[in-house]
Amino acid sequence: MTRSAAIDVVDIAIQAVTAYQRDDLHERLDRTRTRLADPAARVLVVGEFKQGKSLLINSLVNAPACPVDDDLATAVPTEVRHAERPALVLVEQPDPNSPRLRRREVPIDHIGRYVSELGDAADRRAVRHVEVGLPRSVLAGGLCLVDTPGVGGLDSAHGASTMAALPGADAVILVSDAAQEYTAPELEFLRHTVELCPNVLCVLTKIDLYPDWRRIAELDLARLRAAGIEAKLIPVSSTLRQLAISQEDRDLNIESGFPGLIDYLRTDVVAIQDRLADRSAAHDVLSVTRQLAGSMTAELAALRDPAGTESLMADLARATERVEKLRTRSARWQQTLNDGVADLGADIDHDLRDRMRAILREAETHLDEVDPTTVVDEFGRWLNQRVSSAASANFVWTSQRVRYLATQVATHFGVDSATELPQVRGRAPESAIAQADAFALPAAEKFGVGQKWITGMRGGYGGTLMVGMASTLAGLALLNPLSVAAGLMLGRKTVKDERKRLLQRRQAEAKGAVRRYVDDVLFQLGKESRDLVRESQRELRDHFTRIAEELSRSLSESTLAAQRAVSVDRSDRDRRIADLEAELARVENLAGTAVELAESAGFRPLPERVPSDQFSGTLAVGAGA
Amino acid sequence: MSGGRAVHGEVRAVLCRAVELYRGHEAGHALRQELDRMDGPLRVAVAGKVKAGKSTLLNALVGEEIAPTDAGECTRVVTWYRYGQQPRVTLHPVTGPLRQLSVHREHGALRLELGGVSPDTVDRLTVDWPAASLRDTVLIDTPGVASASTDIAAHAVRFLAPEEGAGDADAVIYLMRHLHSTDVRLLESFHDNAIGRGNPLNTVAVLSRADEVGVGRLDALQSAHRIAERYRSDERLRGLCGTVVPVAGLLAQAGRTMRQQEFAALAALSGAPRSVVEGALLSVDRFTSATQRVESALGVPAAHRAALLDRFGLFGIRLATVLLRQGFGQPHELAAELVRRSGVDELRTALVTRFTERRDLLKARAALLALDDVLRRYPHPDAELVSRAVERIQAGAHEFAELRVLGALRVGVIGLAPEAGREAERLLGGLGCQPWARLGLGADASRPQQRSVAMAALQRWQARAEHPLSGRASIDVARVVMRTCEGLCRASDTGGPGAKRLSFPSG
Repeated sequence: MTRSAAIDVVDIAIQAVTAYQRDDLHERLDRTRTRLADPAARVLVVGEFKQGKSLLINSLVNAPACPVDDDLATAVPTEVRHAERPALVLVEQPDPNSPRLRRREVPIDHIGRYVSELGDAADRRAVRHVEVGLPRSVLAGGLCLVDTPGVGGLDSAHGASTMAALPGADAVILVSDAAQEYTAPELEFLRHTVELCPNVLCVLTKIDLYPDWRRIAELDLARLRAAGIEAKLIPVSSTLRQLAISQEDRDLNIESGFPGLIDYLRTDVVAIQDRLADRSAAHDVLSVTRQLAGSMTAELAALRDPAGTESLMADLARATERVEKLRTRSARWQQTLNDGVADLGADIDHDLRDRMRAILREAETHLDEVDPTTVVDEFGRWLNQRVSSAASANFVWTSQRVRYLATQVATHFGVDSATELPQVRGRAPESAIAQADAFALPAAEKFGVGQKWITGMRGGYGGTLMVGMASTLAGLALLNPLSVAAGLMLGRKTVKDERKRLLQRRQAEAKGAVRRYVDDVLFQLGKESRDLVRESQRELRDHFTRIAEELSRSLSESTLAAQRAVSVDRSDRDRRIADLEAELARVENLAGTAVELAESAGFRPLPERVPSDQFSGTLAVGAGA
Repeated sequence: MSGGRAVHGEVRAVLCRAVELYRGHEAGHALRQELDRMDGPLRVAVAGKVKAGKSTLLNALVGEEIAPTDAGECTRVVTWYRYGQQPRVTLHPVTGPLRQLSVHREHGALRLELGGVSPDTVDRLTVDWPAASLRDTVLIDTPGVASASTDIAAHAVRFLAPEEGAGDADAVIYLMRHLHSTDVRLLESFHDNAIGRGNPLNTVAVLSRADEVGVGRLDALQSAHRIAERYRSDERLRGLCGTVVPVAGLLAQAGRTMRQQEFAALAALSGAPRSVVEGALLSVDRFTSATQRVESALGVPAAHRAALLDRFGLFGIRLATVLLRQGFGQPHELAAELVRRSGVDELRTALVTRFTERRDLLKARAALLALDDVLRRYPHPDAELVSRAVERIQAGAHEFAELRVLGALRVGVIGLAPEAGREAERLLGGLGCQPWARLGLGADASRPQQRSVAMAALQRWQARAEHPLSGRASIDVARVVMRTCEGLCRASDTGGPGAKRLSFPSG
């Protein structure tokens, strides 16, 4: 079933809840509809540098969207997505002290300046990522390809940021060329990736160049199996693909392996994304219809069998009581959530502090051994890299913990957690690091010739005077060879001491600067992660409160309906029964459409595990379905 | 520099005394080995990440296929290739006696079978081979670092950068495909245990598989040269290796071992219609499994094409057919041109100027390191004299001072002006140890010319050493350079026609 079909079903459901004046359910369906209307499947293209990632994307979309060079690598993440006309948008952070991002459109042929290592680093400084829009049918289904800076390049602190982008991706393509089988770092990277984003595809590039690519593919698959990673491997050749397009050669295109890759992206990424969206839409509609049907079936049961009203009311009361418990502030799930968040906050903070402390200690040992002025650049780079990778690791861990907490809370509702959990998508930690003042070593105090001279003279003067005075006792002049020698010696010593003192001072100052920097980063990151936890808490709380409220309202409607039924006249009763049966049939019909939608998405809805079930025993009395 | 002949002799004498001293001691055996090593050829290790092309390059350097190569990870144990009258393969287990393995050749390539022994229990393999190029160098093939099999990788790291001691290799050729951060870490670890800590002089980096840059286009090698040029000027690499050379190992290996049958096949290919050949050379699959029509047009059977691809690579075949069309019509011409283009000659030159000319010095340095280690770990009551001699050589030998300063210059810790730094590097033998190379002259420079240039340099550096504004470190450098210049002047004064070496009074 297509995307519009899912939207149609949701629209019908919205009409239904409007008719029954259930504005709480209306809100929920509205959100579902917005989600469906904006399709996007983010596919991250990752891998070590110089494996052909950019060329792969270019060949996929048949346009020079990402600059390609034999030597220089991609430096800034590039998002390639569908657009009516070619467009290049820079997403910049103009002021490093504020997290506000600015979007700026620039001519598309300037891309090299902002994306490749070839460009001016000053041009790139503020650029967080760039978005390229292209009118290509491959991208039309909502596919968004993200070219990432390679892992392992010398100038890339990027590995960490790639990691941080993973939780937000719907699929990941790992690119590795056919020159060799997977190396240890690549497998390590894959293992991490699978934890954060299970939909992984391995692409083997440059198969036109390496005679033994089939062997390499086998070896790679064996390594994947040994590592317990389930992923498909597609061998491709970008060179052949580009040639095929320019010569319009169908056979060559098939040889290039790209049709397989595009198929995969269509069926296993975009379509799965669509199906997931369909499934959650169907799920929402089903849950809504069940709640609507609840009150009707209760009333119907009461009308048909007035004698049984008593026990029906008792059942409803019991169910209401249970739901009311979920609604109170002291509900068990609230406790789980609050405890979980408190633990999470403490753990994350501790983890962050621990990581930073390790870096600080390492930096201090480092600084003890060298003269800080000689290593300013390397040291700054090293520090920055360590800090950002620690921040990313902490951030990834936080997202995982939040997701785990959500499943924990969900168990209280008996909710099928996979579909019903709210998406908690955080921000990448770079912005927080960028907000911290940039690390800079304090300017070294100059110890030039002038100062040396003065310092030396000062020491020498004292020495000459001391020994000179003493030697006057022996009848020598104040300035005699002895006193001059002593002056020279002491002068030299003073200069040497001064130099040593200055070095120690520089080291101490550098350490101070590192401490201040790490403190600053901790401050900003701490705020960021506290915000993240707080936001997640709010989101989870709202989500589950909403569910509890919907359930409660449905039950109270059912109770009201049943009560109404008792007081109805015999003459009205039959008419009312007919009315209710007709309406119930309509609702059942809608539920049937939703089930169809879910089934066409490849998932069987499991009525036993949807939220209202714990009460279905009571509510479904007499219901045919 | 002078090759350090004099220092070599001195160190050897001290080492002999130490061997006497430690006779019967547990360290005695190690010292005697050290002595043997001093007298033996230079040991050059070929290192790099997994699949960087180490074995292929080794074959190209030797000129025979003696190191087994494969598409998958291949070298699993450290293997020494040294000169021997008879081909012989010896297995050195970690414990237990040596074992002879059978010498087994397949299509001209040596196959090494461990005979059912697990690689973990093997310390190393030694291959004796009658190849002229192995006479003055022992080449050591190492397993790839960053291998997905961690124990193989650990083996390589243990060999190249041992926790203690000097390590078995005198010099290292480091191969990389692109400069990866792992490569930098590894290069750094080589230096952590050397005398002149952080001394980049005994390492040459090779940008290997240069033919695969830019997906094997015909201009791949130019691209590779550009990349190597960029790496050479990279500050981080300058401190870690002497130079960076791009080499297409497969091309060199194929060129040096080209067979008549292969030449015939290449000639047939170049004679076939150009459009057909180019179509077939689009991809490896097209080349190996062509249609009947294309096959007859190419005139080379499929089995031969596959073998050709294996040996030359797609780039090699593309290049060879182009060269044949350009008129390199004889087997030896084609082979020579392939070797020339592969860049292996540049590597050889780099090896000669950096390793061979400095051979004695590198050996002396390694021996001194080992001796120092023994003296510290096993103090001997009568070792006073020996350790004093060791100290004296370490502190006094001008050659070591040159090495030290060269290393410091490359690491960039000395605040000299860039052009002064470059001149100092050249004078100290950073670009070659021959006097003319140090003076920046041609090999045919006359003696008086050398002398006048050396005198001018001496005066320049004297001025620098005495300049009141020079820092301590630059004065040190200037003094060492002055001494070198003095040596150069003397060499151009006194040396007879054959005396190209420099010598210094030691101490």
